[in-house]
Amino acid sequence: MTRGAELIRAGWRRHEVRLLAVLVAEWLVFYYCGTSVNRHGVVVGFGTLERQGDILRHSCEIGLLALVLTPVILTAGIDLSVGSLLGLCAVVFGQLWHDAGLSVGAAAALTLVAGALAGGLNAGLIAGLRLPPLIVTLGTYSLFRGLAEALTRGAVTYTDFPAGFLALGQDRALGLPVQAWAFLAVAAAVWVLVHRTMTGRAFRVIGFSPEGARYAGLPVRRTLALAYVLAGVVAALAALIYTARIGQAKADAGTGYELSAIAAVVLGGTSIFGGRGSVTGTLLGVAAIAVLQNGLATIPVVIRLNAAGEIAGLLTGALLLGALSAEAAAKVLSQLRRRRQSAPGPNPVAP
Amino acid sequence: MKSYARELAVAAVLGLLLVVLAVWAPAFFEPAPLRSLLAREAPTLVVACGMALVILTRQIDISVGSQFSACSVAAGLLAAAGWPMGLVLPAAVALGAVLGAVNGALVAGLGLPSIVVTLATMVTLRQGLNLARQGEFVNLPDGVQWLGLGQSAGQGMLLLVAGAVFVTLALALRHLAAGRHVYAVGSDAEAARLAGLRPRRVTLAAFMLLGACAGLAAVMNVVQSPQVQPLAGSGLELKVIAAVVVGGVAISGGRGRLGGVFLGLLLLAFISPALTHLHIEAYWEKAIQGAIILLAVLADAGRKEDSP
Amino acid sequence: MKLFRGCLALLFLGLLSAVAAPAADARLMVALMPKAKGNAYFISCKAGAERAARELGVELLFDGPAETNAAKQNEIVENWITLGVDVIAVAAENREGIATALRKAQRAGIKVITYDADTLPDARSFFVNQATPEGIGQTLMDEAARLCGGNGEFAIITATLTAGNQREWQKHIEARLAAKYPGMKLVAVRPSDDFKDRAQSEATALMSAYPKLKLIMALCTPAVPGAAEAVKQAGKVGQVKVIGLGLPKENRRYVQEGVTDCVVLWNTDQLGYLTAYVAVAVARDQLKLGATSFPAGTLGAMRVEGDNVLLGRPFVFTKENIGQFEF
Repeated sequence: MTRGAELIRAGWRRHEVRLLAVLVAEWLVFYYCGTSVNRHGVVVGFGTLERQGDILRHSCEIGLLALVLTPVILTAGIDLSVGSLLGLCAVVFGQLWHDAGLSVGAAAALTLVAGALAGGLNAGLIAGLRLPPLIVTLGTYSLFRGLAEALTRGAVTYTDFPAGFLALGQDRALGLPVQAWAFLAVAAAVWVLVHRTMTGRAFRVIGFSPEGARYAGLPVRRTLALAYVLAGVVAALAALIYTARIGQAKADAGTGYELSAIAAVVLGGTSIFGGRGSVTGTLLGVAAIAVLQNGLATIPVVIRLNAAGEIAGLLTGALLLGALSAEAAAKVLSQLRRRRQSAPGPNPVAP
Repeated sequence: MKSYARELAVAAVLGLLLVVLAVWAPAFFEPAPLRSLLAREAPTLVVACGMALVILTRQIDISVGSQFSACSVAAGLLAAAGWPMGLVLPAAVALGAVLGAVNGALVAGLGLPSIVVTLATMVTLRQGLNLARQGEFVNLPDGVQWLGLGQSAGQGMLLLVAGAVFVTLALALRHLAAGRHVYAVGSDAEAARLAGLRPRRVTLAAFMLLGACAGLAAVMNVVQSPQVQPLAGSGLELKVIAAVVVGGVAISGGRGRLGGVFLGLLLLAFISPALTHLHIEAYWEKAIQGAIILLAVLADAGRKEDSP
Repeated sequence: MKLFRGCLALLFLGLLSAVAAPAADARLMVALMPKAKGNAYFISCKAGAERAARELGVELLFDGPAETNAAKQNEIVENWITLGVDVIAVAAENREGIATALRKAQRAGIKVITYDADTLPDARSFFVNQATPEGIGQTLMDEAARLCGGNGEFAIITATLTAGNQREWQKHIEARLAAKYPGMKLVAVRPSDDFKDRAQSEATALMSAYPKLKLIMALCTPAVPGAAEAVKQAGKVGQVKVIGLGLPKENRRYVQEGVTDCVVLWNTDQLGYLTAYVAVAVARDQLKLGATSFPAGTLGAMRVEGDNVLLGRPFVFTKENIGQFEF
């Protein structure tokens, strides 16, 4: 076997590489099926730069949440409250700007602080009091959404934001949607944090064994707290971007985003049991889901079925299940193979 | 297993709520509306019992709301097609068990993480249902409602069924070998395996039982009104999981009792009507619910078993 | 690895179906977007629009979010721009939020109109106005006051506390209440999350919490039968009246039994029909600003005021007439 083939085989064993292959396959298929000249003679669809920009634009908020959920899940934790927190922060931002009369900049800064405080509440309960993250964030999932509704009495919607702010969600800079730059910056920061710092290593160690981490002298509580506070701050950032993109701040913003973000992280190969995973994987997971959901809706036949959203949802569920099952099946197979190789019994059974 | 701290904490909060209601809104305790309220929550209790089993084995199932919807629609369509309720009920329960078995097979057979598997099946089922029904109501023929028994008898029977499921499962968990296996698998699957149990079978059985409970609950809900909404049951998973964990079942498996789940469910189910009776504005409801979940779980602060 | 082979197979299947699909025919393509696809209200709009599409010989697309979602609406508009439809008709979940996407469609040469709920005027050419929120609010409040004899307590059940149209109606109900009916008192507003079952539970609690309650007003389609079922089960038929915004089909049983006194709604079937007619006329440049009347198939001449095409007053469905409506 040539060395090249060897390399490919080795690479294929990495989850990221296989996910990349799926992504490329998706991209190619949608490029060919989803790009067309419409009846007005204009080239439209998946292949246009504009559409590619839109895909980035549509996936920024969930992408941001997925990025910061990666450290949380690496510690074997979970944060179900990020979607609700997005709603709460959107409302807080609207109130600070509209009701309290602050400038957009000041309101945005205070919103990030509010996000940090809310993340701090999760951190305090989970890292400080050692309560289980699933229940704590199930509680704050309800609490944050409830506060968003209570603050607005469910009724107030903030709109008419200044054009300079809306540009953050609707314009382009240097060829990309403005928010894509914020997303890339956060992605780079999280990547460095997770893969190039002691804290990043601590996330994994805690995920593998909190006891072990403690005995190894790692600052377990501080590390855990950091993960949840970071999730809070970035949820607030996502709230700002969402508000700028949609042009309104309302208590129901971000409903259900937590599940989409978790799905992306898990598809990216991060183990829900903690300890194993990568930021690159998460980015690929976000991209694979975003391209699938947006790309499907550029195929004329699918649009004409009037159910692009449902089909995309079905396929996303199937992709997730398929990826997990393939992973598990591969593990079982390789175990079997190893067992056969180490003990070549008298009774060789065909696979 | 020994400490009743959580049950006592939940019972105390529930007691406080009931005292407040007794003083400021005694109308809450009028028998007819209270019986209606309890009958409306009876299906939720059935699902919560099943969920408790799954969580005791250290798994979770967030697709249960979608299962409930699917079984409701199936039961509605079968009833509308003229099937007698004596056949509709087992069909719905069987459908639920099959849906549960799919989750269980993926989790127990392939060793996949249950939260992710059931997240995927939740989305898949819900979208499939949206595609199939487009939200349209199913109209039921006469005689389906209350199984033709009349309202108060029908409500009484629903309470009886929910009570029977609850008592059976509670006793089984406590006194039967199978019940102890659930705890054993949830506390330490490897140890359970070494002790001669079959953790995979137990896990699969727990998921199937939860699915069957969802099917039964769907029928118990369908018979309470003459129309079935396909959306019914979406969001049920969170309500049920909240009730189970507030009731003291450890999310890390192997610890908790159905008695606590019962109290947790009552507490959560009473919040909304209590706010109506106390004339508190509805937009506080979710915040209060979240605060109560956090308060109840605070009773566990400092316990080592639950640390992340 | 199997997964990836499977994925590829699936994707190639998509490719095949795309290739095998019949080439786009030359018929006019009309895209109609509801606020929520699963909502019975919009399903009946769709039925009307389909009838119109058959009469006019155009192709009709009907897609929208499964549940109300402003962000999803934008994405679907983008899809239609991609497909190059001729005209888009939207029931806007969010007035400002969808405007950007609709302007983009206009730049791409697609005609845009709105129905049911409007967007910013520069993002569309016409708005098919079924009945103003004010008209709805006033009609409901007037009916409620008439049924209660001008005094007594009533409660409202809404969809969600954040739903835009619900807030709008509630605002006008409260305005009418303050202006005309000093004897009436709104005691509670409860959400039902668009669930019939939850509306039933809420109505049950409302009746026992407010024993003097005379009327429940349900503002979303699933909540009306939910509230009616609760009143029936509480044995308070006649004592607590139910009215609401709802479709005749889902409510017929309760209206005929006398549990629900009336449901108020414009004819949603006609709304869809009229919307499709206006969309096609706009696309063919047959309807222009300045027109005062517009011929809409079997509906006859409809009034046009400025850039609004009017469907007329909301309709009150009662025991006498509800049997005639099949939507």
